[in-house]
Amino acid sequence: MKRIRQISVFVENRPGRLLEVVDLLGKNNINIKALSLADSSDFGIVRLVVKGTDEAIKVLKENGFTISETNIIACMIDDKPGALASILRTLADNQINIEYMYGFASPIEGKAVMVFKFSDLESAEKILEQNNIKTLTQEEIREI
Amino acid sequence: MIYDDELETLPREALEALQLKRLQHTVERVYNLVPFYKKKFDEAGVKPDDIKSLDDLKRLPFTTKQDLRDNYPFGLFTLPLEQVVRVHASSGTTGKPTVVGYSKRDIQTWSNLMARSLAACGVGKGDVIQNAYGYGLFTGGLGAHYGGEALGATVIPISGGNTKKQILIMKDFGSTVLTATPSYTLYLAETLKEMGIKRDELKLRVGILGAEPWSDEMRKNIEEKLGIDALDIYGLSEIMGPGVAIECIEAKNGLHIWEDAFIPEIIDPETGEVLKDGEEGELVITTISKEAMPLIRYRTRDITRIIKEPCKCGRTHRRIERIKGRSDDMLIIRGVNIFPSQIESLLMETEGVEPHYQLIVDRVNNLDTLEVKVEVSEKLFSDEIKHLQRLKERIEKDIKDLYGITVKVTLVEPKTLQRFEGKAKRVIDKRKI
Repeated sequence: MKRIRQISVFVENRPGRLLEVVDLLGKNNINIKALSLADSSDFGIVRLVVKGTDEAIKVLKENGFTISETNIIACMIDDKPGALASILRTLADNQINIEYMYGFASPIEGKAVMVFKFSDLESAEKILEQNNIKTLTQEEIREI
Repeated sequence: MIYDDELETLPREALEALQLKRLQHTVERVYNLVPFYKKKFDEAGVKPDDIKSLDDLKRLPFTTKQDLRDNYPFGLFTLPLEQVVRVHASSGTTGKPTVVGYSKRDIQTWSNLMARSLAACGVGKGDVIQNAYGYGLFTGGLGAHYGGEALGATVIPISGGNTKKQILIMKDFGSTVLTATPSYTLYLAETLKEMGIKRDELKLRVGILGAEPWSDEMRKNIEEKLGIDALDIYGLSEIMGPGVAIECIEAKNGLHIWEDAFIPEIIDPETGEVLKDGEEGELVITTISKEAMPLIRYRTRDITRIIKEPCKCGRTHRRIERIKGRSDDMLIIRGVNIFPSQIESLLMETEGVEPHYQLIVDRVNNLDTLEVKVEVSEKLFSDEIKHLQRLKERIEKDIKDLYGITVKVTLVEPKTLQRFEGKAKRVIDKRKI
């Protein structure tokens, strides 16, 4: 299974709180591979894919952050118009629901990486495989 | 365990006869020894001889906290200072502190009542009591201390605060009983977890918690977190200190008020009219076995009701229901009366919230607002915003359904709300009226 470990951090909506999260990871030499921030009026959720998930969880917990771990899927797609639409169409045709998604910096020329959180992870994996959509492993993410 | 078998199970008739005798004696003394009472009784047109039955108690005027302040510091003492062996005082956050004095016999009486209270919680000789109530002018520390010693238990006079040391001592000394405020107990439980100390490394089995109103749901939470029996104790410095009333471990339902020492009444706080047993109102207490500073019909401001039904533990002293709050703590939000303990009950029943909360009252554009800040528990924290939104909305709806007021619920990070070593202060009223 090519599942990627994502860390979610609960943060109150106040100046400097996001900085504390990122700063803590930086000081502990943990590299952030992808980050997305979801917000509501009072609080936000910082979603992170990092190099060194276990260490990140440890330092965040030690510093009093509330976190949870979620499995997501990273898909490699062509960096050209219509590529994302094509994947989304495949998913939609197969009744696969996306909870959220965000983009990833990709150093590979002509490729882009999208991160997906699916409502039904197993079905999603099956459909992606059947349709030959390239997904990345945790190791591959680490090397990017 | 019953500490004083004879007095604690005295048939009602004999108990009431004893109360009358002691009441008459007390009224006689205060009338003759304290000018304040003589003046008040005269104004009300009542003489000590008029007290012929317990029912006549209601003819006497009330005593209030303001009366104590007006007679600051020693004006209500019935004994000269050389016979007063100890004084305590309340914190006096608003104005002068209220002072209370104890004779040698008063200290004995208090120790005995407190020993009874501890025994009612299943504590006895061989128990190690970690007394985390503050020592000093506050009655909590020394009250529990003397009671524990009178009972023959081992008392650790650790006082409040210094949480890590508390835990170290709890573990190393094998404390079996904790006396503290419920909010501090929660803080201890949290720190225990942080320090990685497991439940079976401790011998703790009973918590005797009081000095602030708390809810039954909070009890369940504490009992689950610490694996102990948590019991409610009631007292106030003006009347004596802790040990005025206690929950028995047999029933865990209502607090026996020691009626050979105190006469409880429930009144309508607006009209002063005495209510029947079972009706909710303000608790009024008359002390009938105190020497240095008896109080006649003292208005406690605490809201409760009297449970007259006999208790399965066999004690004949009536019970008061868990204190709902102080009439002073009652929040009036857009005309609706609400006690912080009611919000607490509701929060404790909501899965996924931590038992730490804060209520912030404000007035925006002439309209009262109530914000409820509550910590999200690790267990509930979900990666998805919609789950958290749903939790927030559910609490808002539950409060609206139950109390009819619209509040704003704010979810905050765990361990960010203030923790308390003594009495919790959960309400911040920003209204400037």
